[in-house]
Amino acid sequence: MNDIRSRLESCFNIVFPETPAADLPKASPETVEAWDSVATVTLFAVVDEEFNVSLLDENVEELVSFQAILDHLHSKLDRAAA
Amino acid sequence: MKLAEALALVNGQTPRESPTWRVALVCGFSPLHLQTFLAAYLIRRIRGRFVAVETGIYGDLPGNLERFAGKRVDAAVAVIEWADLDPRLGYRSAHGWREGREDDVLKTALARLDQIRSGILRLSQEVSVSVALPTLALPPVFDPPSHWASTTALALRRAVAELGESLSGEPAVRVLDPQQIDRSSPPERRLSLASEFRAGFPYSLHHASAMACELSKLALPGTPKKGIITDLDNTLWRGILGEDGVDGISWDLDHDSQGHALYQAMLASLSRLGVLLGVASKNDAAAVERALERENLIVPPDLLFPIEANWGPKSRSVQHILNRWNVHADAVVFVDDSEFELAEVRDAFPEIETLLFPSQTDAIDGFLRRLRQRFGKASITEEDRLRGGSLRAAGERERHAAKTNPDELLARAEAKIKLHFDAPDQRSYELVNKTNQFNLNGRRVDEATWRSRVQDPARFLIAASYADKYGPLGKITVVSGRRGQNELRVDTWVMSCRAFSRRIEYEMLKAMFDRYRVDRILLDYVPTDRNGPLGEFLGVVATEDVGGMAVVARNAFAAGCPFLFSEVSES
Repeated sequence: MNDIRSRLESCFNIVFPETPAADLPKASPETVEAWDSVATVTLFAVVDEEFNVSLLDENVEELVSFQAILDHLHSKLDRAAA
Repeated sequence: MKLAEALALVNGQTPRESPTWRVALVCGFSPLHLQTFLAAYLIRRIRGRFVAVETGIYGDLPGNLERFAGKRVDAAVAVIEWADLDPRLGYRSAHGWREGREDDVLKTALARLDQIRSGILRLSQEVSVSVALPTLALPPVFDPPSHWASTTALALRRAVAELGESLSGEPAVRVLDPQQIDRSSPPERRLSLASEFRAGFPYSLHHASAMACELSKLALPGTPKKGIITDLDNTLWRGILGEDGVDGISWDLDHDSQGHALYQAMLASLSRLGVLLGVASKNDAAAVERALERENLIVPPDLLFPIEANWGPKSRSVQHILNRWNVHADAVVFVDDSEFELAEVRDAFPEIETLLFPSQTDAIDGFLRRLRQRFGKASITEEDRLRGGSLRAAGERERHAAKTNPDELLARAEAKIKLHFDAPDQRSYELVNKTNQFNLNGRRVDEATWRSRVQDPARFLIAASYADKYGPLGKITVVSGRRGQNELRVDTWVMSCRAFSRRIEYEMLKAMFDRYRVDRILLDYVPTDRNGPLGEFLGVVATEDVGGMAVVARNAFAAGCPFLFSEVSES
């Protein structure tokens, strides 16, 4: 579980290097200035690579925060592991 | 490369304050990850420069080619996809997927290809342009039933191939070989519709990375290697000479050893491009001599020089060959069929590149391709063709030298030097970027900087060609700098190591003093780990150091200059 969080934090660190690690749990387009549409596509691509999923095929409008993506990954990966 | 790795490279690259290398990425789709990957691969290939990949406007490839004209970028990369020729050939415009429109699509595409060709040619007047022809499949609307070839699809591919063919003949255009990208990116893994629909970027991450990798090699070609040192047994030929005898070794279809024949043919071909061929073999020298006399050898034995056949360690033979060639280990590829021998040579020369001659026949093609790529050159100069012969002549020259003093040797050499003033060419550019030992400061110059320098009226450029009775060396030295009030400021001076010990460096200083009638020449000398020979020369001729520049004064030079035997003329 923590592994998913730390791996997702690494993804965010790469796409938003200016954002302090402490701010990542609350990260969203409202709190991270660099989070625009291009950053969204880049972030999803990095997450897809890291977790072997396809966020681009998901409902992007719902995946608009660190927490939302983390929850989504948990539900997807936990289901796959079950 | 993964996207995360590419982003990390881009985020952590050389600070922005460093000199910037600007490359235009010209495409019609959203550049997105291709931009990131291209920057990352370029960062790996260029050191000490901040890499900036600049892009244009979505959906307008011809317009983007126009926009970058006059923008003074250092290189351009143009990536064409089918949708750039007609939106109906893409996936974001489903309305065009109707029967009966093939002729109209073809007509539009041909007109657009003409526009693109013109735009690339215009841009290539200012900067080198690397071009990728469409790599995605045509949309399935063009697929007739039962895998028949569609006339329209074939016509489109032919038109694109013709564009590539015509551009590949242009001096400042490099077209990406479609077969190369086929090898690194399987066609079925190239398209990402999810990315295309969401972001207007049609490539999968894998394809984006592969394209960027290949395009970065076109935009910033590596320095080609200079020589191959090859083993003999089970490498140049099949069999062990000491066991099978001269008649027992083979390189042909009949003896299941055709791979060795192809290797010999590749060596002969590379030699014609100026690549040096040497032999390091654990063998009896007399037996090797007899084997190389076999008439059906595909690589002519006189191209192999020197031949080190002995029972000592291969690294010692390699050292002898490097000394004879006067090249550094990093300019050489060592080929052997034994992992042990490769490791022994690598231990002695960590910079040398080693290639294992494959034992499996099916691996031969990949091996030959890897070998060929190490020696990739856009064009072959006369100097390339002369190099092997001049080294063999140097062997003869050295034998003479051992018996006589330098002045006697130079006096009998019948040397002729031809000076070329302000006549830049590809050879001069190559010399500046590959010479190490007689190199004023080790600084390399990219094409854009070179172009702007040679066009600067305040600068001078002198190159010299050399020939003596042992043979021609071609263009072997280039010096360049700025003309000032009663002085020259030289920032570039290189000379091929093949031209050492002929007092050509003295001739060049004399030519500068005579031509520009100045009293002193200031040289921007910076010691590197390899330019000791030039440092030693300056230690003899320079009289003082002014602001970090070595100064050669006219009077002191004239007083200390040794006798110069060469006959000097101007082109």
